[in-house]
Amino acid sequence: MNAQVALGIVAVVVLATIALGLAGVRGVKMNPQEYIVGGRRIGALLLWLLLAGEIYTTFTFLGAAGWAYGKGAPAYYILCYGTLAYVISFFLAPPVHRIARERGYLTGPDFFSDRYGSRLLGALVALVGFVMLVPYVTLQLTGIQILVQIAGFGSIDPIVAVAIAFFLIAVFTFAAGLRGAAWAAVAKDGLVLIGVIFAGLVLPAHFFGSPAGALDAVLRDPAHPHWLVIGPPSAGANGITWVVTTVILTGCGFFMWPQSMAAIYSARDEDTLRRNAVFLPFYQVMLLLVFFAGFTALEVAPGLKGPNVDQSFLIVVRDHYPAWVLGIVAAAGTLAGLVPAAGQLLAAASIIGKNVCADYGFARGEAAQTLVTRVLVLVVALLAFGFWAVAKTTLVGLLLIGYNGVTQFFPGVVLGVSSRRPSAFAIGAGIVAGLVVLIGFAVRNVGQIGGVNAGLVALAANVVVLAIASAIVPARRPAEAPTAA
Amino acid sequence: MSRRRPSTTAVVCAVIPALALTLGVIPADRLEPRIAGLPFVLAWIVAWVLLTPAFLWIAYRSERA
Repeated sequence: MNAQVALGIVAVVVLATIALGLAGVRGVKMNPQEYIVGGRRIGALLLWLLLAGEIYTTFTFLGAAGWAYGKGAPAYYILCYGTLAYVISFFLAPPVHRIARERGYLTGPDFFSDRYGSRLLGALVALVGFVMLVPYVTLQLTGIQILVQIAGFGSIDPIVAVAIAFFLIAVFTFAAGLRGAAWAAVAKDGLVLIGVIFAGLVLPAHFFGSPAGALDAVLRDPAHPHWLVIGPPSAGANGITWVVTTVILTGCGFFMWPQSMAAIYSARDEDTLRRNAVFLPFYQVMLLLVFFAGFTALEVAPGLKGPNVDQSFLIVVRDHYPAWVLGIVAAAGTLAGLVPAAGQLLAAASIIGKNVCADYGFARGEAAQTLVTRVLVLVVALLAFGFWAVAKTTLVGLLLIGYNGVTQFFPGVVLGVSSRRPSAFAIGAGIVAGLVVLIGFAVRNVGQIGGVNAGLVALAANVVVLAIASAIVPARRPAEAPTAA
Repeated sequence: MSRRRPSTTAVVCAVIPALALTLGVIPADRLEPRIAGLPFVLAWIVAWVLLTPAFLWIAYRSERA
Protein backbone atom coordinates (compact mmCIF):
# COMPACT_ATOMS: atom_id res chain seq x y z
CA MET A 1 0.00 0.00 0.00
CA ASN A 2 2.71 2.45 1.06
CA ALA A 3 4.78 1.49 -1.93
CA GLN A 4 1.83 2.06 -4.26
CA VAL A 5 1.21 5.56 -2.86
CA ALA A 6 4.87 6.61 -3.06
CA LEU A 7 5.54 5.08 -6.47
CA GLY A 8 2.20 6.38 -7.75
CA ILE A 9 3.18 9.96 -6.90
CA VAL A 10 6.56 9.52 -8.63
CA ALA A 11 4.82 8.15 -11.74
CA VAL A 12 2.28 10.98 -11.90
CA VAL A 13 4.95 13.67 -11.50
CA VAL A 14 7.23 12.12 -14.13
CA LEU A 15 4.37 11.75 -16.64
CA ALA A 16 3.20 15.31 -15.99
CA THR A 17 6.75 16.60 -16.54
CA ILE A 18 7.09 14.69 -19.83
CA ALA A 19 3.76 16.22 -20.89
CA LEU A 20 5.04 19.69 -19.93
CA GLY A 21 8.20 19.06 -21.94
CA LEU A 22 6.18 18.02 -24.98
CA ALA A 23 3.88 21.04 -24.64
CA GLY A 24 6.96 23.29 -24.50
CA VAL A 25 8.28 22.07 -27.86
CA ARG A 26 4.94 22.14 -29.71
CA GLY A 27 5.03 24.42 -32.70
CA VAL A 28 8.77 25.11 -32.45
CA LYS A 29 10.36 24.60 -35.84
CA MET A 30 13.47 22.54 -35.27
CA ASN A 31 16.82 23.09 -36.92
CA PRO A 32 20.25 22.45 -35.42
CA GLN A 33 20.59 26.08 -34.20
CA GLU A 34 17.22 25.94 -32.48
CA TYR A 35 17.64 22.40 -31.27
CA ILE A 36 21.09 22.48 -29.71
CA VAL A 37 21.59 26.10 -28.62
CA GLY A 38 18.03 27.42 -28.39
CA GLY A 39 18.53 29.84 -31.29
CA ARG A 40 21.17 31.73 -29.23
CA ARG A 41 18.60 34.06 -27.69
CA ILE A 42 18.08 32.76 -24.21
CA GLY A 43 17.84 35.66 -21.79
CA ALA A 44 19.28 36.08 -18.30
CA LEU A 45 16.45 34.55 -16.28
CA LEU A 46 15.85 31.49 -18.47
CA LEU A 47 19.60 30.93 -18.77
CA TRP A 48 19.86 31.04 -14.97
CA LEU A 49 17.15 28.39 -14.77
CA LEU A 50 18.67 26.32 -17.59
CA LEU A 51 22.12 26.33 -16.00
CA ALA A 52 20.68 25.57 -12.58
CA GLY A 53 18.63 22.80 -14.15
CA GLU A 54 21.73 21.21 -15.62
CA ILE A 55 24.05 21.86 -12.69
CA TYR A 56 21.86 20.81 -9.78
CA THR A 57 21.19 17.16 -10.43
CA THR A 58 20.40 14.04 -8.48
CA PHE A 59 23.99 14.41 -7.31
CA THR A 60 23.07 17.59 -5.45
CA PHE A 61 20.03 15.91 -4.02
CA LEU A 62 21.47 12.57 -2.87
CA GLY A 63 25.22 12.58 -3.47
CA ALA A 64 26.06 15.67 -1.41
CA ALA A 65 23.96 14.36 1.50
CA GLY A 66 25.56 10.96 1.08
CA TRP A 67 29.03 12.44 1.43
CA ALA A 68 28.08 14.51 4.47
CA TYR A 69 26.79 11.23 5.90
CA GLY A 70 29.66 9.00 4.81
CA LYS A 71 32.70 11.32 4.87
CA GLY A 72 31.68 14.40 6.84
CA ALA A 73 33.45 17.73 6.33
CA PRO A 74 35.29 16.91 3.05
CA ALA A 75 31.80 17.24 1.50
CA TYR A 76 32.16 21.00 2.01
CA TYR A 77 34.26 21.02 -1.17
CA ILE A 78 30.97 20.86 -3.09
CA LEU A 79 29.96 24.31 -1.79
CA CYS A 80 33.32 25.81 -2.83
CA TYR A 81 33.91 24.43 -6.30
CA GLY A 82 30.70 25.64 -7.90
CA THR A 83 31.34 29.12 -6.57
CA LEU A 84 34.93 29.08 -7.85
CA ALA A 85 33.59 27.94 -11.23
CA TYR A 86 31.23 30.92 -11.42
CA VAL A 87 34.13 33.29 -10.69
CA ILE A 88 36.14 31.69 -13.53
CA SER A 89 33.12 31.78 -15.85
CA PHE A 90 32.75 35.52 -15.26
CA PHE A 91 35.93 35.99 -17.33
CA LEU A 92 35.93 32.90 -19.54
CA ALA A 93 32.30 32.47 -20.65
CA PRO A 94 31.83 35.88 -22.39
CA PRO A 95 34.76 35.53 -24.84
CA VAL A 96 33.86 31.87 -25.51
CA HIS A 97 30.31 32.97 -26.27
CA ARG A 98 31.44 35.79 -28.56
CA ILE A 99 33.75 33.55 -30.57
CA ALA A 100 31.06 30.83 -30.78
CA ARG A 101 28.53 33.33 -32.10
CA GLU A 102 30.92 34.81 -34.66
CA ARG A 103 32.03 31.41 -35.91
CA GLY A 104 28.69 29.58 -35.55
CA TYR A 105 29.71 26.80 -33.14
CA LEU A 106 27.09 24.30 -32.03
CA THR A 107 29.08 21.92 -29.85
CA GLY A 108 31.92 22.14 -27.33
CA PRO A 109 34.39 20.31 -29.62
CA ASP A 110 33.58 22.83 -32.42
CA PHE A 111 35.52 25.35 -30.36
CA PHE A 112 38.63 23.16 -30.50
CA SER A 113 38.39 22.15 -34.15
CA ASP A 114 37.92 25.75 -35.31
CA ARG A 115 40.15 27.69 -32.90
CA TYR A 116 43.05 25.32 -33.43
CA GLY A 117 42.22 24.59 -37.07
CA SER A 118 42.15 20.82 -36.55
CA ARG A 119 39.22 18.54 -37.24
CA LEU A 120 41.17 15.75 -35.55
CA LEU A 121 41.48 17.74 -32.30
CA GLY A 122 37.74 18.36 -32.40
CA ALA A 123 37.10 14.63 -32.82
CA LEU A 124 39.48 13.82 -29.93
CA VAL A 125 37.71 16.27 -27.63
CA ALA A 126 34.34 14.86 -28.73
CA LEU A 127 35.39 11.28 -27.98
CA VAL A 128 36.81 12.18 -24.56
CA GLY A 129 33.71 14.22 -23.72
CA PHE A 130 31.53 11.32 -24.80
CA VAL A 131 33.39 8.82 -22.61
CA MET A 132 33.39 11.17 -19.61
CA LEU A 133 29.64 11.71 -19.88
CA VAL A 134 29.09 7.99 -19.29
CA PRO A 135 29.84 8.10 -15.53
CA TYR A 136 27.77 11.30 -15.27
CA VAL A 137 24.75 9.56 -16.83
CA THR A 138 25.48 6.53 -14.63
CA LEU A 139 25.24 8.92 -11.67
CA GLN A 140 21.72 9.95 -12.70
CA LEU A 141 20.77 6.33 -13.37
CA THR A 142 22.04 5.28 -9.94
CA GLY A 143 20.20 8.14 -8.28
CA ILE A 144 16.87 7.22 -9.87
CA GLN A 145 17.45 3.56 -9.04
CA ILE A 146 17.95 4.46 -5.35
CA LEU A 147 14.80 6.59 -5.37
CA VAL A 148 12.65 3.94 -7.04
CA GLN A 149 13.96 1.26 -4.70
CA ILE A 150 13.24 3.26 -1.56
CA ALA A 151 9.87 4.56 -2.77
CA GLY A 152 9.01 0.89 -3.42
CA PHE A 153 9.73 0.06 0.24
CA GLY A 154 12.15 -2.67 -0.76
CA SER A 155 9.57 -4.45 -2.91
CA ILE A 156 11.55 -3.67 -6.06
CA ASP A 157 14.74 -5.49 -6.97
CA PRO A 158 17.78 -3.21 -7.68
CA ILE A 159 18.06 -4.60 -11.22
CA VAL A 160 14.38 -3.87 -11.87
CA ALA A 161 14.80 -0.42 -10.33
CA VAL A 162 17.76 0.42 -12.58
CA ALA A 163 15.85 -0.92 -15.60
CA ILE A 164 12.97 1.42 -14.73
CA ALA A 165 15.46 4.28 -14.38
CA PHE A 166 17.02 3.44 -17.74
CA PHE A 167 13.58 3.25 -19.38
CA LEU A 168 12.50 6.61 -17.88
CA ILE A 169 15.68 8.36 -19.05
CA ALA A 170 15.46 6.94 -22.57
CA VAL A 171 11.76 7.74 -22.99
CA PHE A 172 12.15 11.22 -21.52
CA THR A 173 15.07 12.07 -23.81
CA PHE A 174 13.34 10.75 -26.91
CA ALA A 175 10.04 12.43 -26.11
CA ALA A 176 11.15 15.81 -24.82
CA GLY A 177 14.45 16.61 -26.54
CA LEU A 178 16.59 19.47 -25.30
CA ARG A 179 14.06 22.28 -25.45
CA GLY A 180 11.55 20.06 -23.72
CA ALA A 181 14.16 19.40 -21.07
CA ALA A 182 14.64 23.14 -20.52
CA TRP A 183 10.92 23.49 -19.91
CA ALA A 184 10.88 20.48 -17.63
CA ALA A 185 13.79 22.08 -15.74
CA VAL A 186 11.46 24.80 -14.51
CA ALA A 187 9.10 22.23 -12.94
CA LYS A 188 12.06 20.26 -11.65
CA ASP A 189 13.73 23.23 -9.92
CA GLY A 190 10.54 24.10 -8.06
CA LEU A 191 9.99 20.57 -6.80
CA VAL A 192 13.66 20.05 -5.91
CA LEU A 193 13.64 23.27 -3.89
CA ILE A 194 10.65 22.00 -1.91
CA GLY A 195 12.37 18.65 -1.40
CA VAL A 196 15.63 20.25 -0.27
CA ILE A 197 13.90 22.63 2.16
CA PHE A 198 12.00 19.70 3.61
CA ALA A 199 15.07 17.49 3.96
CA GLY A 200 17.41 20.25 5.13
CA LEU A 201 15.18 22.23 7.50
CA VAL A 202 12.08 20.20 8.42
CA LEU A 203 13.95 16.92 9.06
CA PRO A 204 16.58 18.37 11.44
CA ALA A 205 13.91 20.47 13.18
CA HIS A 206 11.78 17.36 13.69
CA PHE A 207 14.53 15.29 15.28
CA PHE A 208 16.89 17.82 16.86
CA GLY A 209 14.93 21.08 17.12
CA SER A 210 17.02 22.88 14.47
CA PRO A 211 19.83 22.28 11.94
CA ALA A 212 22.31 23.49 14.58
CA GLY A 213 20.83 20.87 16.93
CA ALA A 214 21.59 18.19 14.34
CA LEU A 215 25.21 19.41 14.14
CA ASP A 216 25.42 19.29 17.96
CA ALA A 217 24.19 15.70 17.86
CA VAL A 218 26.91 14.80 15.33
CA LEU A 219 29.55 16.44 17.54
CA ARG A 220 28.36 14.59 20.66
CA ASP A 221 28.39 11.22 18.92
CA PRO A 222 31.65 9.42 19.86
CA ALA A 223 31.32 7.17 16.78
CA HIS A 224 32.82 9.84 14.54
CA PRO A 225 34.89 12.56 16.17
CA HIS A 226 36.09 15.53 14.09
CA TRP A 227 33.29 14.85 11.57
CA LEU A 228 32.57 18.55 11.03
CA VAL A 229 36.13 19.74 10.36
CA ILE A 230 38.21 18.67 7.39
CA GLY A 231 41.52 17.97 9.14
CA PRO A 232 45.06 17.33 7.88
CA PRO A 233 45.75 14.77 5.15
CA SER A 234 45.91 11.23 6.51
CA ALA A 235 45.94 7.73 5.10
CA GLY A 236 42.75 6.84 3.27
CA ALA A 237 40.89 9.99 4.28
CA ASN A 238 40.16 13.14 2.32
CA GLY A 239 42.09 15.83 4.16
CA ILE A 240 42.41 19.57 3.65
CA THR A 241 44.96 19.17 0.83
CA TRP A 242 42.51 16.96 -1.04
CA VAL A 243 39.68 19.46 -0.50
CA VAL A 244 41.68 22.44 -1.78
CA THR A 245 43.09 20.62 -4.81
CA THR A 246 39.70 19.11 -5.65
CA VAL A 247 38.04 22.53 -5.48
CA ILE A 248 40.64 23.88 -7.93
CA LEU A 249 40.32 20.86 -10.25
CA THR A 250 36.53 20.72 -10.37
CA GLY A 251 36.18 24.51 -10.38
CA CYS A 252 38.23 24.57 -13.60
CA GLY A 253 36.31 21.62 -15.05
CA PHE A 254 32.82 22.88 -14.22
CA PHE A 255 32.04 24.55 -17.56
CA MET A 256 34.11 22.12 -19.65
CA TRP A 257 31.28 19.58 -19.94
CA PRO A 258 29.89 19.48 -23.50
CA GLN A 259 26.40 20.41 -22.25
CA SER A 260 27.83 23.37 -20.29
CA MET A 261 29.69 24.71 -23.33
CA ALA A 262 26.41 24.48 -25.27
CA ALA A 263 24.67 26.42 -22.47
CA ILE A 264 27.31 29.18 -22.80
CA TYR A 265 26.63 29.35 -26.56
CA SER A 266 22.88 29.55 -25.96
CA ALA A 267 23.04 32.88 -24.07
CA ARG A 268 21.66 35.98 -25.75
CA ASP A 269 24.81 38.04 -25.19
CA GLU A 270 27.99 38.36 -23.14
CA ASP A 271 26.33 40.61 -20.58
CA THR A 272 23.77 37.86 -19.82
CA LEU A 273 26.62 35.47 -19.00
CA ARG A 274 28.39 37.96 -16.71
CA ARG A 275 25.20 38.70 -14.80
CA ASN A 276 24.57 34.96 -14.46
CA ALA A 277 28.04 34.47 -12.98
CA VAL A 278 27.25 37.19 -10.43
CA PHE A 279 24.02 35.58 -9.21
CA LEU A 280 24.59 31.83 -9.61
CA PRO A 281 26.52 31.48 -6.30
CA PHE A 282 23.24 32.10 -4.44
CA TYR A 283 22.03 28.75 -5.77
CA GLN A 284 24.87 27.05 -3.91
CA VAL A 285 23.22 27.80 -0.57
CA MET A 286 20.84 24.91 -1.32
CA LEU A 287 23.80 22.61 -0.72
CA LEU A 288 24.09 23.75 2.89
CA LEU A 289 20.57 22.42 3.48
CA VAL A 290 21.51 19.16 1.78
CA PHE A 291 24.45 18.80 4.22
CA PHE A 292 22.04 19.34 7.13
CA ALA A 293 19.90 16.51 5.73
CA GLY A 294 22.93 14.21 5.52
CA PHE A 295 24.09 15.02 9.07
CA THR A 296 20.57 14.49 10.42
CA ALA A 297 20.40 11.09 8.73
CA LEU A 298 23.78 10.16 10.21
CA GLU A 299 22.34 10.44 13.72
CA VAL A 300 18.82 9.13 13.00
CA ALA A 301 19.69 6.20 10.71
CA PRO A 302 23.36 5.34 11.28
CA GLY A 303 25.17 2.35 9.84
CA LEU A 304 24.93 2.83 6.04
CA LYS A 305 28.20 1.92 4.31
CA GLY A 306 29.79 2.28 0.88
CA PRO A 307 27.48 3.39 -1.95
CA ASN A 308 24.49 2.96 0.41
CA VAL A 309 25.32 6.31 2.05
CA ASP A 310 23.56 7.93 -0.91
CA GLN A 311 20.26 6.70 0.54
CA SER A 312 20.88 8.63 3.78
CA PHE A 313 18.00 11.01 4.34
CA LEU A 314 15.60 9.05 2.12
CA ILE A 315 15.71 6.20 4.64
CA VAL A 316 14.76 8.69 7.37
CA VAL A 317 11.85 10.02 5.31
CA ARG A 318 10.69 6.49 4.54
CA ASP A 319 10.81 5.31 8.15
CA HIS A 320 9.38 8.38 9.89
CA TYR A 321 6.96 10.06 7.48
CA PRO A 322 3.77 9.13 5.59
CA ALA A 323 4.18 7.50 2.19
CA TRP A 324 2.92 10.57 0.32
CA VAL A 325 5.77 12.69 1.74
CA LEU A 326 8.27 10.09 0.58
CA GLY A 327 6.51 10.09 -2.81
CA ILE A 328 6.96 13.84 -3.26
CA VAL A 329 10.60 13.79 -2.16
CA ALA A 330 11.32 10.81 -4.42
CA ALA A 331 9.53 12.51 -7.33
CA ALA A 332 11.69 15.63 -6.86
CA GLY A 333 14.80 13.47 -6.87
CA THR A 334 13.68 11.54 -9.94
CA LEU A 335 13.17 14.77 -11.91
CA ALA A 336 16.59 15.93 -10.67
CA GLY A 337 17.99 12.85 -12.41
CA LEU A 338 15.86 12.79 -15.55
CA VAL A 339 16.18 16.40 -16.66
CA PRO A 340 20.00 16.62 -16.55
CA ALA A 341 20.30 13.09 -17.95
CA ALA A 342 18.36 14.17 -21.03
CA GLY A 343 20.73 17.11 -21.52
CA GLN A 344 23.77 14.89 -21.00
CA LEU A 345 22.59 12.16 -23.35
CA LEU A 346 21.81 14.68 -26.09
CA ALA A 347 25.15 16.45 -25.59
CA ALA A 348 27.03 13.15 -25.80
CA ALA A 349 25.10 12.13 -28.92
CA SER A 350 25.44 15.53 -30.60
CA ILE A 351 29.23 15.81 -30.18
CA ILE A 352 29.81 12.40 -31.75
CA GLY A 353 27.16 13.04 -34.42
CA LYS A 354 28.68 16.41 -35.34
CA ASN A 355 32.41 16.29 -34.61
CA VAL A 356 33.12 12.66 -35.48
CA CYS A 357 30.42 11.55 -37.96
CA ALA A 358 29.40 14.70 -39.85
CA ASP A 359 32.87 16.35 -39.82
CA TYR A 360 34.31 13.20 -41.35
CA GLY A 361 31.62 12.90 -44.00
CA PHE A 362 29.31 10.28 -42.50
CA ALA A 363 25.64 10.95 -41.94
CA ARG A 364 25.54 14.26 -43.76
CA GLY A 365 21.81 14.65 -44.40
CA GLU A 366 19.42 15.87 -41.73
CA ALA A 367 17.50 12.59 -41.61
CA ALA A 368 20.72 10.60 -41.26
CA GLN A 369 21.94 12.91 -38.49
CA THR A 370 18.72 12.54 -36.54
CA LEU A 371 19.00 8.78 -36.82
CA VAL A 372 22.65 8.84 -35.67
CA THR A 373 21.75 11.06 -32.72
CA ARG A 374 18.95 8.76 -31.60
CA VAL A 375 21.09 5.65 -31.89
CA LEU A 376 23.91 7.38 -29.96
CA VAL A 377 21.51 8.44 -27.18
CA LEU A 378 20.72 4.77 -26.75
CA VAL A 379 24.41 3.81 -26.88
CA VAL A 380 25.35 6.24 -24.08
CA ALA A 381 22.42 5.08 -21.97
CA LEU A 382 23.49 1.45 -22.46
CA LEU A 383 27.12 2.26 -21.62
CA ALA A 384 25.93 4.04 -18.47
CA PHE A 385 23.93 0.95 -17.60
CA GLY A 386 27.00 -1.23 -18.08
CA PHE A 387 29.14 1.14 -16.01
CA TRP A 388 26.57 0.94 -13.22
CA ALA A 389 26.93 -2.84 -13.21
CA VAL A 390 30.74 -2.83 -12.86
CA ALA A 391 31.62 0.32 -10.89
CA LYS A 392 29.85 0.22 -7.58
CA THR A 393 30.83 3.61 -6.23
CA THR A 394 29.14 6.57 -4.59
CA LEU A 395 27.53 9.38 -6.57
CA VAL A 396 30.41 11.71 -5.67
CA GLY A 397 32.86 9.05 -6.81
CA LEU A 398 31.16 8.86 -10.21
CA LEU A 399 31.13 12.62 -10.60
CA LEU A 400 34.84 12.93 -9.79
CA ILE A 401 35.74 10.33 -12.47
CA GLY A 402 34.07 12.47 -15.13
CA TYR A 403 35.53 15.72 -13.80
CA ASN A 404 39.08 14.35 -13.95
CA GLY A 405 38.53 13.81 -17.66
CA VAL A 406 36.75 16.95 -18.83
CA THR A 407 39.08 19.23 -16.84
CA GLN A 408 41.81 18.24 -19.33
CA PHE A 409 40.02 20.58 -21.80
CA PHE A 410 40.55 23.61 -19.54
CA PRO A 411 43.98 24.70 -20.90
CA GLY A 412 42.67 24.45 -24.46
CA VAL A 413 39.64 26.62 -23.74
CA VAL A 414 41.60 29.27 -21.79
CA LEU A 415 44.34 29.52 -24.44
CA GLY A 416 41.69 29.25 -27.16
CA VAL A 417 40.17 32.64 -26.33
CA SER A 418 43.55 34.37 -26.57
CA SER A 419 44.95 35.71 -29.80
CA ARG A 420 48.23 33.80 -29.41
CA ARG A 421 47.10 30.21 -29.49
CA PRO A 422 49.43 27.21 -29.41
CA SER A 423 49.27 24.55 -32.12
CA ALA A 424 46.54 21.92 -32.24
CA PHE A 425 49.29 19.33 -31.77
CA ALA A 426 50.34 20.87 -28.46
CA ILE A 427 46.77 21.03 -27.12
CA GLY A 428 46.07 17.47 -28.24
CA ALA A 429 49.35 16.17 -26.77
CA GLY A 430 48.49 17.82 -23.46
CA ILE A 431 45.03 16.25 -23.35
CA VAL A 432 46.42 12.82 -24.23
CA ALA A 433 49.14 13.15 -21.56
CA GLY A 434 46.56 14.10 -18.95
CA LEU A 435 44.42 11.11 -19.89
CA VAL A 436 47.36 8.70 -19.82
CA VAL A 437 48.19 9.85 -16.28
CA LEU A 438 44.53 9.50 -15.27
CA ILE A 439 44.28 5.98 -16.66
CA GLY A 440 47.54 5.05 -14.91
CA PHE A 441 46.10 6.21 -11.59
CA ALA A 442 42.74 4.56 -12.24
CA VAL A 443 44.33 1.18 -13.01
CA ARG A 444 46.23 1.31 -9.71
CA ASN A 445 43.12 2.64 -7.96
CA VAL A 446 45.01 5.76 -6.79
CA GLY A 447 42.75 8.69 -5.92
CA GLN A 448 45.29 11.01 -4.35
CA ILE A 449 49.05 11.49 -4.19
CA GLY A 450 50.23 12.82 -0.85
CA GLY A 451 46.74 14.18 -0.26
CA VAL A 452 46.60 15.93 -3.65
CA ASN A 453 43.69 14.95 -5.93
CA ALA A 454 45.13 12.73 -8.67
CA GLY A 455 43.13 14.63 -11.30
CA LEU A 456 45.10 17.80 -10.54
CA VAL A 457 48.36 15.87 -11.03
CA ALA A 458 47.03 14.81 -14.44
CA LEU A 459 46.15 18.42 -15.25
CA ALA A 460 49.71 19.46 -14.31
CA ALA A 461 51.09 16.77 -16.65
CA ASN A 462 48.77 18.10 -19.34
CA VAL A 463 50.13 21.66 -18.97
CA VAL A 464 53.79 20.55 -18.91
CA VAL A 465 53.40 18.43 -22.05
CA LEU A 466 51.45 21.25 -23.70
CA ALA A 467 54.33 23.66 -23.03
CA ILE A 468 56.99 21.25 -24.33
CA ALA A 469 54.93 20.24 -27.38
CA SER A 470 54.22 23.84 -28.35
CA ALA A 471 57.96 24.53 -28.28
CA ILE A 472 58.53 21.58 -30.64
CA VAL A 473 55.52 22.28 -32.89
CA PRO A 474 54.73 26.00 -32.74
CA ALA A 475 51.48 27.38 -34.11
CA ARG A 476 51.66 27.86 -37.87
CA ARG A 477 48.87 30.38 -37.88
CA PRO A 478 50.12 33.99 -37.67
CA ALA A 479 48.79 35.94 -34.69
CA GLU A 480 45.59 37.66 -35.66
CA ALA A 481 45.83 41.35 -36.31
CA PRO A 482 43.76 43.30 -33.78
CA THR A 483 40.61 44.72 -35.27
CA ALA A 484 38.04 47.00 -33.77
CA ALA A 485 35.40 44.98 -31.94
CA MET B 1 39.68 40.10 -32.91
CA SER B 2 40.75 42.29 -30.02
CA ARG B 3 39.56 41.56 -26.58
CA ARG B 4 39.55 44.22 -23.92
CA ARG B 5 41.53 42.93 -20.97
CA PRO B 6 39.54 42.68 -17.73
CA SER B 7 40.09 45.74 -15.53
CA THR B 8 42.37 45.50 -12.51
CA THR B 9 39.37 46.10 -10.24
CA ALA B 10 37.54 43.15 -11.80
CA VAL B 11 40.52 40.82 -11.44
CA VAL B 12 41.10 41.81 -7.79
CA CYS B 13 37.38 41.35 -7.03
CA ALA B 14 37.50 37.85 -8.49
CA VAL B 15 40.79 36.76 -6.96
CA ILE B 16 39.72 37.59 -3.37
CA PRO B 17 36.76 35.14 -3.14
CA ALA B 18 38.63 32.58 -5.26
CA LEU B 19 41.53 32.56 -2.76
CA ALA B 20 39.15 32.56 0.22
CA LEU B 21 37.42 29.43 -1.07
CA THR B 22 40.63 27.55 -1.92
CA LEU B 23 43.77 28.39 0.11
CA GLY B 24 41.69 30.33 2.62
CA VAL B 25 39.93 27.16 3.74
CA ILE B 26 43.23 25.81 5.14
CA PRO B 27 43.59 28.25 8.10
CA ALA B 28 39.79 28.34 8.49
CA ASP B 29 39.54 24.59 9.04
CA ARG B 30 38.53 24.77 12.71
CA LEU B 31 35.46 23.87 14.77
CA GLU B 32 35.51 26.88 17.10
CA PRO B 33 34.25 29.53 17.26
CA ARG B 34 30.95 28.18 16.00
CA ILE B 35 28.84 30.74 14.19
CA ALA B 36 25.04 30.32 14.26
CA GLY B 37 25.67 26.71 15.22
CA LEU B 38 27.89 26.06 12.19
CA PRO B 39 31.46 24.86 12.61
CA PHE B 40 33.82 27.76 11.85
CA VAL B 41 35.07 26.21 8.60
CA LEU B 42 31.53 25.72 7.27
CA ALA B 43 30.52 29.25 8.34
CA TRP B 44 33.65 30.58 6.56
CA ILE B 45 32.75 28.79 3.33
CA VAL B 46 29.07 29.80 3.43
CA ALA B 47 30.01 33.43 4.17
CA TRP B 48 32.35 33.54 1.17
CA VAL B 49 29.79 31.86 -1.10
CA LEU B 50 27.34 34.62 -0.14
CA LEU B 51 29.99 37.35 -0.49
CA THR B 52 31.06 36.19 -3.96
CA PRO B 53 28.05 37.79 -5.73
CA ALA B 54 28.92 41.11 -4.04
CA PHE B 55 32.52 40.94 -5.30
CA LEU B 56 31.43 39.86 -8.78
CA TRP B 57 28.86 42.65 -8.86
CA ILE B 58 31.64 45.20 -8.31
CA ALA B 59 33.63 43.43 -11.03
CA TYR B 60 30.59 43.56 -13.31
CA ARG B 61 30.13 47.29 -12.75
CA SER B 62 33.80 48.01 -13.38
CA GLU B 63 33.72 45.97 -16.61
CA ARG B 64 30.74 47.95 -17.89
CA ALA B 65 32.20 51.34 -17.03
